[in-house]
Amino acid sequence: MPLEGDLVVLREERRGDQKLFAEWRNDLATQAWGQSLPPSFTEEMHVKRFEAMEFSFKPAGARLPIVHKATGEVAGYIAYTDLEPRLSASIGLVVAKAFWGTRVGLDAQETLLRFLFSELGLRVVHLWTHSGNPRAVGLAEKSGFRITVRIREAVYKNGKLLDTLAMSLTRDDYYARRPELTDALPDPVRALRGV
Amino acid sequence: MGGRSFETERIALRALDPDDAAPLHSYLNDDAVLGRRYVPGSVRDAEPLSRSHVAGILEEWGKEKTGFTLGVLAKASGRLIGHATCEWPWDPHCPSISLVIAPSEQRAGYGSEVVRLLVAHLFLDTPAHTITGWIASWNEPALVFAAAHGFAECGRIPRAGVRNGSYYEQVVVDLLRREWTARQGGSHAA
Repeated sequence: MPLEGDLVVLREERRGDQKLFAEWRNDLATQAWGQSLPPSFTEEMHVKRFEAMEFSFKPAGARLPIVHKATGEVAGYIAYTDLEPRLSASIGLVVAKAFWGTRVGLDAQETLLRFLFSELGLRVVHLWTHSGNPRAVGLAEKSGFRITVRIREAVYKNGKLLDTLAMSLTRDDYYARRPELTDALPDPVRALRGV
Repeated sequence: MGGRSFETERIALRALDPDDAAPLHSYLNDDAVLGRRYVPGSVRDAEPLSRSHVAGILEEWGKEKTGFTLGVLAKASGRLIGHATCEWPWDPHCPSISLVIAPSEQRAGYGSEVVRLLVAHLFLDTPAHTITGWIASWNEPALVFAAAHGFAECGRIPRAGVRNGSYYEQVVVDLLRREWTARQGGSHAA
């Protein structure tokens, strides 16, 4: 069963995706972090990264292309990294400009969150952005993320000093906002306290 | 950039060598530093460490490219009493610092001297604009210590880990260059 939402399917990365990944990496609108510029990334660089990936039963993360079900187009990708098994991970999202405002990003985010909480059993999911990216903050808030950390003036982008923002969504908040889902995984800390 | 002395009257910060493994092994296994060792991420933080673990830590520190870890030497005794790290894995604009003093040497002011040296180095000899610190919420002495050195709490990352039957948070603190300058009396003079 694929990771499927209402609008999108999240599938495995393929060699043919790498050209799009390079384009998005080179676009200042879809590349949130100025430190990774200049826009000189090539498809070949991305193919090398892709070919260096190895099979593992314990991946620490994944990058999943977002396939728009209605058109079959790859509309972006969503990733999780820094996996601490059964505890936490961080997510990141890139949506091609042509799909901005279509709810594809939110559907991809919800689909990945369902996987991270319902399959991997995480206790919290984080994401990192900055104060110059209200679109990312708003999208995260729609899924229940809250800003938990604001590191002052930690980012310089587009000629401005910006705050680094950490946003977090705990397992409790995730299930509380989605009453149609049932959390059958006992909380290890609550279990100790007999709650 | 650089040229600043990493010394005070009582301590010197110096590069670590394989010969430092013995004192490092000793204080890293002290109960009082379990969970706050500030050693490379691939090494476990809260369980007993073998000598080969410590050798691996020294090797990892020796490979650092976006930061550095220095040993804290007590000049009077010539002993290694701790280690301190400055790192900027993403951007030298926003480095972080961390510090461990052997429990037997704590509450003697060594940590304060180390922080003053490192913060001065980052603000006077590098492009640092915001310095951060990352402290487990259960580590109240470190939170008090950071505040005393001008760091402000800028948030808490929930569910950072489990300790003693409870979740704890990762408290993030920051210090801006202009705030540090003001604390120095408004002068950048070394």
